[in-house]
Amino acid sequence: MSYMDNTTKKRVLREGVIKSIWLATALISAVAVAFILGHVICTALSGFLFNTNWNPTGTPPSYGIAALIIDTLLVTLGALIFSVPLGLATAVYISYVAPPRMRDVVKPVIELLAGIPSVVYGFFGMIVLGSFLQKALNIPSGACWLAASIILGIMALPTIISVSEDALFAIPKDYKEASLSLGVTYWHTISHVLLPAAASGVSAAVILGMGRAIGETMAVMMIAGNAAIIPNPIWNVLSPVRTLTATLGIEMTEVATNSMHYYALFGVATILLLITLLINLTSYWLIKRMQTGSCLPDRMRNWTHSEGMRVAVAAVAGIIVVWFLSAVLGILSAVVITAAIGAWYFGREKISPKFAEKSSFGIIYACTAAVILILAIILWDIFANGLPAISWEFLTGRPKQCGLAGGIFTAIVGTLQLVAGAILITLPIGIGAAIYFTEYSHENLLTRALRIGNDLLNGTPSIVFGLFGFAFFVIYLNWGTCMLAGQICLAFMILPTIIRTTEEALKSVPNSLREASLGLGATQWQTIRKVVLPSAAPGILTGAILSVGRAAGETAPIMFTAVVFSKRFITRDVFDPVMALPYHLFALSTTVPDVTTQHYGTAVVLIALVIAIYLAAIFSRRHFQKKLFR
Amino acid sequence: MTPAIQANHLNLFYGTKQALFDVDILFEEKKITALVGPSGCGKSTLLRCLNRMNELIPTCKISGEILFRSENILKADPVELRKQIGMVFQQPNPFPKSIYDNIAYGPRAHGEHDTGKLDTIVENSLKSAALWDEVKDRLHDSALGLSGGQQQRLCIARTLAVSPEIILMDEPCSALDPIATSKIETLITDLKQKYTVIIVTHNMPQATRVSDMTGFMYLGKVIEMDETQTIFVNPAEKLTQHYITGKFG
Ligand SMILES: Nc1ncnc2c1ncn2[C@@H]1O[C@H](COP(=O)(O)OP(=O)(O)O)[C@@H](O)[C@H]1O
Ligand SMILES: [Mg+2]
Repeated sequence: MSYMDNTTKKRVLREGVIKSIWLATALISAVAVAFILGHVICTALSGFLFNTNWNPTGTPPSYGIAALIIDTLLVTLGALIFSVPLGLATAVYISYVAPPRMRDVVKPVIELLAGIPSVVYGFFGMIVLGSFLQKALNIPSGACWLAASIILGIMALPTIISVSEDALFAIPKDYKEASLSLGVTYWHTISHVLLPAAASGVSAAVILGMGRAIGETMAVMMIAGNAAIIPNPIWNVLSPVRTLTATLGIEMTEVATNSMHYYALFGVATILLLITLLINLTSYWLIKRMQTGSCLPDRMRNWTHSEGMRVAVAAVAGIIVVWFLSAVLGILSAVVITAAIGAWYFGREKISPKFAEKSSFGIIYACTAAVILILAIILWDIFANGLPAISWEFLTGRPKQCGLAGGIFTAIVGTLQLVAGAILITLPIGIGAAIYFTEYSHENLLTRALRIGNDLLNGTPSIVFGLFGFAFFVIYLNWGTCMLAGQICLAFMILPTIIRTTEEALKSVPNSLREASLGLGATQWQTIRKVVLPSAAPGILTGAILSVGRAAGETAPIMFTAVVFSKRFITRDVFDPVMALPYHLFALSTTVPDVTTQHYGTAVVLIALVIAIYLAAIFSRRHFQKKLFR
Repeated sequence: MTPAIQANHLNLFYGTKQALFDVDILFEEKKITALVGPSGCGKSTLLRCLNRMNELIPTCKISGEILFRSENILKADPVELRKQIGMVFQQPNPFPKSIYDNIAYGPRAHGEHDTGKLDTIVENSLKSAALWDEVKDRLHDSALGLSGGQQQRLCIARTLAVSPEIILMDEPCSALDPIATSKIETLITDLKQKYTVIIVTHNMPQATRVSDMTGFMYLGKVIEMDETQTIFVNPAEKLTQHYITGKFG
């Protein structure tokens, strides 16, 4: 190695050090995951398995969580029953039917739907949907399984739509041409070639949407009625229910540390984690199938192709839908709809392909219109009622009477402080880990383990972060409720997104650029800093801004860790609690029965803040793209 | 001589860019006609007018008329039309379904659900496409597992299963190796007993091997059209001669 003089050695050393830094960040993020998951699961186990103080006759006497699991599944099922058809139809519309100009309208609408904070959905569900159901169905309270399912369905729509749209988009255009050239209608092509070809991706979309519904806390807590009972009879959609997440949200602050109840809550969180794990693994597997383009394995093909299997699936799906419809709309309309579906099913070989195409496209238009209408109704209700509340005093004033009156200035500042802290903590770790994954690591056991850890953290219900933060920072480290605890919880929550978007951005930088730079004798770090990072910057920035938007609207991770109901002064010490917009809206809605403009005003400010952040992301991406390709 | 399909005063625009200029052309029944010409001269565009596949491109505007069974197809229903005029593409594009389902797809879509009849259609189509012996034992395996040449013959069989009158082929061999190519060429020459075939090709020897008639296109115009022999031995136009002797493009 005679060509290695001293400066070269130094450079090699420096490169090594830099690489180790990125490895360290990757490790930190992985250790964080392991720690959070480990902490939650171990606490649960130590309570259940190693607790010798078995006291089934004490008060409270029982921790049977079967009812909670059943309720969670029922609520999710109800949500999927209408969000899957609506979402799929909209995805088909966007990918295959919409003229380009309509697509440019519908896609941002979907993104907007995804951007509305869950506490706003919960608020809307309580105020508008709940009281509508109460009056329309003449029931004592509108907070019930049905209401929760409707709101969760709306919240799952964007996930279902955007993931299926990606899957549909990835189907080769060749299939369409091949099918059309056989004299087959476009609808038949979509339903018999394109959708089946995208089946894996579309199922992944449904499963991820399901994960979205299962993991949601705030909205469910506000509209599900929260009685831990199994509906009686089981199809009674007007019964109040309580999900796993809502249980955590409601009971976490009420229990004594290290009581049986405390451990039971960690048990609930562990079950949530297991469900998330199952969902992530399944969708990962499905999307992988889609990418490798493999058909179903032969054994499953024989299954899905057998007539009996199809009839059975159709029958089960049919019974569920009919039951749900009859509960919601009454027996008569259910009979009419069933008859229509049945007539279609048995007559479908007789009706002309032209007519089938027209009616199917009609249904697709209607579904897309319904999705847009849903968003319009929510936004209209909130803005029409909330805008009158907005005034200079409201925005810059301090809260009076414990936040029931006065302004929300401290809540606005508190939210900004929380997200700023979160992004400051998470950006260096996230970007560093992503750099390590894409630029330095060759696939090996360690990187694979780190990556899996990251994927597992992604999609973890946000309440689990709150639970962890409460147990660890607030109780164990004895920080009490404070801003820093909330910032760290939010940081962990957005870490996977940051890592993922940064990775995507880095991967989209063409390898030829790296090779050109390395070929000129630049070191790897010089290449990354001078060539790769600048071209990946827009993508990284967009990902970061989107994460900020998500963090700003989140309530569950900060609910027990960082916030108080009312605070007259801006927090200056990270070990003091803060006031935050989403929690303020939650607290107002759940404790103050009469809806005031105070509620709506807070909702408007929260939505406006989140939308402004998203718009910033969109514009910064455009700006950078223009600069880059000029 | 009976015309199978005929275009009159055909002009085609992609947005503001004109791709076909006042094309008049006549294709004879139960013959194989080759369209040759330098790349970008509008061969595919002309071919795709004949079964109206160009309409999938939103910017595409067509004027003139195309007569098929003495009806102007530009005014007819494209879905019905494509049952009569099938197409085979440059890249083999079987559906991600079994071999059987690929062939049965068209007939099923057109309302044939009788299993016995479908079996017959599948067998006959595969036999006509010289693929039956190779796949008869694995009809229910995925079509994506076939070789490129087999996939292309499968696509031809899939087109035959709808029993069209005319088959359009857009450089069907350009993605295949020489052995697969020669199999497809043999297959094409067999097809003319029952079908009218119009084939776009880049490959001059291929045009001489398979076609009865050859049309030469240049810059969006049909320069001349005659018996293949005549075009290659004694063309009327200088431009054609230059092209077939390899003086340009
Ligand atoms: N979808 C399209 N949009 C715009 N221009 C097109 C499109 N397809 C083809 N063209 C143009 O039309 C001309 C003819 O193309 P094509 O028919 O594909 O030629 P060939 O098949 O002879 O190579 C070319 O100049 C090409 O650039
Ligand atoms: Mg071409």
